[in-house]
Amino acid sequence: MPELVLKADGLTKSYRTEAGSLTVLDQVSFEVQAGEALSIIGPSGSGKTTLLGLCAGLDVPTSGTLSLMGFKLNNMSEDDRAYIRNRFVGFVFQNFQLLQTLTALENVMVPLELRGERQALPLAKKWLDRVGLAERMNHYPSQLSGGEQQRVALARAFMTAPRILFADEPTGNLDGENAENITERLFQINREEKTTLVLVTHNLELAQKTDRILRMKGGRIIEESRTTRA
Amino acid sequence: MIEYQIKIKRERKNIFQDGWVWRMAWRDGRHNFSRLFLFVASLITGIAALVSIGSLNYSLQDELNRNAKELLGADLVVNSNKKIDTAFYQLLDSNASALAQDAEMASMVMFMNSRQSRLVKLTAWQGDFPFYGQLVTAPADAYQRMQSGEYAMLDETLATQYEISSDDSLKIGNRMFKVAGVVRKIPGGGQLTSTLAPAVYISLRSLDSTGLVQFGSRVAYSVYVKNESEKETNALVAKLNPIIGKYGYSYETVAARREGLGEGFQSVYRFFSLLAFVALLLGCVGVASSVHIYAREKREEVAVLRCMGSTGWQAFTIYFIQILFLGCVGSVLGAAIGMALQQLIPVVFGDYLPVQVTFAVSWRALLEGVVLGVVVSVLFTLLPLVNVRFVPPLAVLRSDSVLTKRFSKTRAVAMGLIVLFPIVAAAYQTQSAVAGLLFGIAIALALGGLVAIASLLLWLVRQFFPVHARFVFRHALSNLFRPNNQTTVLLVTIGLGAFIIATLNITQSSLLNQVEFTGTENQSNTILFDIQTPQRDGVVALMNEQGLPVNQVVPIVTCRLLEIKGKSIEAIQKDTAKIPDWALTREYRVTYRDSLHLSEKLIKGQLQRVERSVNDSIFVTISEGMHETLNVQVGDSLVFDIQGVPLKAHISGIRQVDWPKDPPNFIFVFPTGVLENAPQIWVAATRIEEDVQAATFQQRLVMGFPNVSLIDLRLILATVQELFDKVAMVVRFLAFFSIVTGLVVLAGAVLNSRFARMKENALLRTLGARTRQIALITLIEYCYLGFFAALTGILFAVGAGWLLCRFFFEVAFAVAVGELAYIAVGVLTMTVLIGWLNSRKVIRTPPLQVLRKEG
Repeated sequence: MPELVLKADGLTKSYRTEAGSLTVLDQVSFEVQAGEALSIIGPSGSGKTTLLGLCAGLDVPTSGTLSLMGFKLNNMSEDDRAYIRNRFVGFVFQNFQLLQTLTALENVMVPLELRGERQALPLAKKWLDRVGLAERMNHYPSQLSGGEQQRVALARAFMTAPRILFADEPTGNLDGENAENITERLFQINREEKTTLVLVTHNLELAQKTDRILRMKGGRIIEESRTTRA
Repeated sequence: MIEYQIKIKRERKNIFQDGWVWRMAWRDGRHNFSRLFLFVASLITGIAALVSIGSLNYSLQDELNRNAKELLGADLVVNSNKKIDTAFYQLLDSNASALAQDAEMASMVMFMNSRQSRLVKLTAWQGDFPFYGQLVTAPADAYQRMQSGEYAMLDETLATQYEISSDDSLKIGNRMFKVAGVVRKIPGGGQLTSTLAPAVYISLRSLDSTGLVQFGSRVAYSVYVKNESEKETNALVAKLNPIIGKYGYSYETVAARREGLGEGFQSVYRFFSLLAFVALLLGCVGVASSVHIYAREKREEVAVLRCMGSTGWQAFTIYFIQILFLGCVGSVLGAAIGMALQQLIPVVFGDYLPVQVTFAVSWRALLEGVVLGVVVSVLFTLLPLVNVRFVPPLAVLRSDSVLTKRFSKTRAVAMGLIVLFPIVAAAYQTQSAVAGLLFGIAIALALGGLVAIASLLLWLVRQFFPVHARFVFRHALSNLFRPNNQTTVLLVTIGLGAFIIATLNITQSSLLNQVEFTGTENQSNTILFDIQTPQRDGVVALMNEQGLPVNQVVPIVTCRLLEIKGKSIEAIQKDTAKIPDWALTREYRVTYRDSLHLSEKLIKGQLQRVERSVNDSIFVTISEGMHETLNVQVGDSLVFDIQGVPLKAHISGIRQVDWPKDPPNFIFVFPTGVLENAPQIWVAATRIEEDVQAATFQQRLVMGFPNVSLIDLRLILATVQELFDKVAMVVRFLAFFSIVTGLVVLAGAVLNSRFARMKENALLRTLGARTRQIALITLIEYCYLGFFAALTGILFAVGAGWLLCRFFFEVAFAVAVGELAYIAVGVLTMTVLIGWLNSRKVIRTPPLQVLRKEG
């Protein structure tokens, strides 16, 4: 039986606003198996980014339970969740989120260095080589193109051999050619590393490359479908 | 899958164990150090000011300790305002290895080369004074020649002023003296002393021959004692203690002189170090404000780090290390600059120092400066940096995510420490908890007042925004309200410097206005004193002959208090609710008349009078203020000792006295018919308009009435002005630190808002604005900022100056509007200059570069 990496059960997220309580996620439940690639699609404001944030332990739900790699995140402190993220989770963001004051190499080293491991440097070089940026490892983000920055982000995400990778519109800020390139690398590495992938996107074409699609609207999952890839 | 919840066992590392935070601090900081350094630079000026003053203080205290005996010139000095009793002198003589004496009094001296005359401190010496330290004269044998009785010496400043050489003569009283030389250095003396009261020296045995010492003359006699050891001095002190009160003498030891001088300078040091401390606090406000913006800008990076697994403390520590490092660098630099500045202080303010201070590195001041700098940089950055801990990782996805926590123990502790810090630091500097607390309250009031005025001004600008003004003026004004512009902080920091300078200016104007005698009213500006009764008519005749108005000729009788409200002075002195000793034991110089003087107003009771019907009761009036000091009211009784004769009187009324107006003025005024037969001297007052007329009159006076002294109040006014100018220079010097701090904060603020400005400019350029227009907008914005900062400081200074004049100095409030305008223009110019220098790059950056960066 495949290992269950992520399980969301009745996830609800509400915010207090001046106008009253605003529910952005309403009773969402789903599971993700190890090695599976899942995409979450839906229009703006449908709650997909909120769901990603909760699944990755960046935020806690108002109600419902969430377990990641067997750890129930609901009651954990922020620092404990940070520990879980560092051990099991990788991220790729739409706007790359590289640290502007660090070189590409240093950016890639950060997650492993946070663990206190000494092998960060050779591994980071290896990963930068793998994404085709060996020659540009000492460049700062501002000296790299958007596509190159996202490749650095990919290297950083896979640096800790995460069990699950969360990607938020990874091609949203890239032109067609670069988007294609990143998509190809993302799925290739994902396959090779056997990483579970949770992808949030507007791009249906990109979503079709995953095994399963969750379609969201108004904070609820309105449709769940398997793709042809599956 | 089995769901289980486990407690995470994370390895917790402290700041020294976690190498990653140090590496990250360096990696992130290498791009921000120049910018962060500017934040810390606002500390440098405050630290430099504190270290320079602290170092000077420690060096001076060391010198005082090293040269303690030289300050007194002897082991012990006995002081008296009457001739030393022979038996007492013999007692001293039998307990000393050597004795010397002097007598000091105020007297007129005529310089025969120019026939000019002036009031001097006449010192008559006998013996080999000083026993310790050096009396430096030119020529070297001047003192020996003076002892012959034919010669006089004079202070070098006086000799220079009146162009006196060794061939010249002086007329002192009835006698002529040849000039033996000048005095360059004298134990316990200083340039300040000789400026305020220049001295002429003669031998004690020739004093009588001058005819100056007559009835009523105020002469201070001193006997200088030299002992072979401290033990001998202590033994002598033990012998003197039981008897000295009986003679009415006092004594001063080396330790007392050292303590007195030390304490005197210590008070001045405390005042100035608190002023410097204000500059440091301003720097702290600037640092806190800048770090607040820095931490806000780092929010996204922190969120990324937290996504990758960094804890809140780790993220906080990265930036904390940067600030700590720069705090250390800034403090060391500030301390080094302070040490360098210390070299300047004795050069500029040497006149005030009782001893010559040689340069020495005061490690204590240096260490205090560095520690203080590090403490404040940590303390004041802690509060804004703590927010870093609570940046949610969700901020990588949603930039509007709020902090995970609003309240934390760290933040509460930081706030508590920030409130406590000024109080504790001020208490340490002043060595007084009360002073520390008062300083804390004063700072809170001052900063609160400045913030209130700055906020009010900005609110008024918003309310009355000039919507119809030209675009550049409107846009520049609206820039003051740009997010992260730190406008209020800038108005307060720069405004505080302007406030200190303006308050000083207002106080100076008010005080000088009070002693200004050259007004249009026919007030006296020349006082003649020590006129003996037989000389009175002659002096008046001379004044008439010279065409001078005789504004006053008043008798003066010296007396002391014996009883107040039926209680003896000794008994009152033992009371717990004490009346100050000086008020009880001082010699009062009273007059008698039946009317009010033009400087007086009766505010309570009746005028002084004698009621023959009620047992010849004598009713006197007392000046307002003194009645509070002596704790007496209308109807209370007093017993005066009129030169040995007790005289009971009652208080009939209280007079309000405008002391500087038409002197002399008196605390006690008796009615006529009581003191006419008591030994008395006379004081006359006149007004002399022209210097030539003054010189002629003084010359005739010295020739005809050599014992009569003359005070030219214009000369005193000039001296007061000179003294004030020097003190004002020190205060301005320190206020300047505050302004510099404010300008450093301004430079930091400009850097902080640089990208926002660049974006604005790029947008304006895209819409068609020319470089000239953008430059104009920038310049006008800094003009506004400088103007409002100056206005904030000056408005607050007017309020504070009024309070000071009304309640502390009790003088009429006077504002020199022109001078305040100069201060405003100075602050405005410096603000525009610093703002402009830091904005050139912003103005020159091409719009495409900015838009590309933005994209």
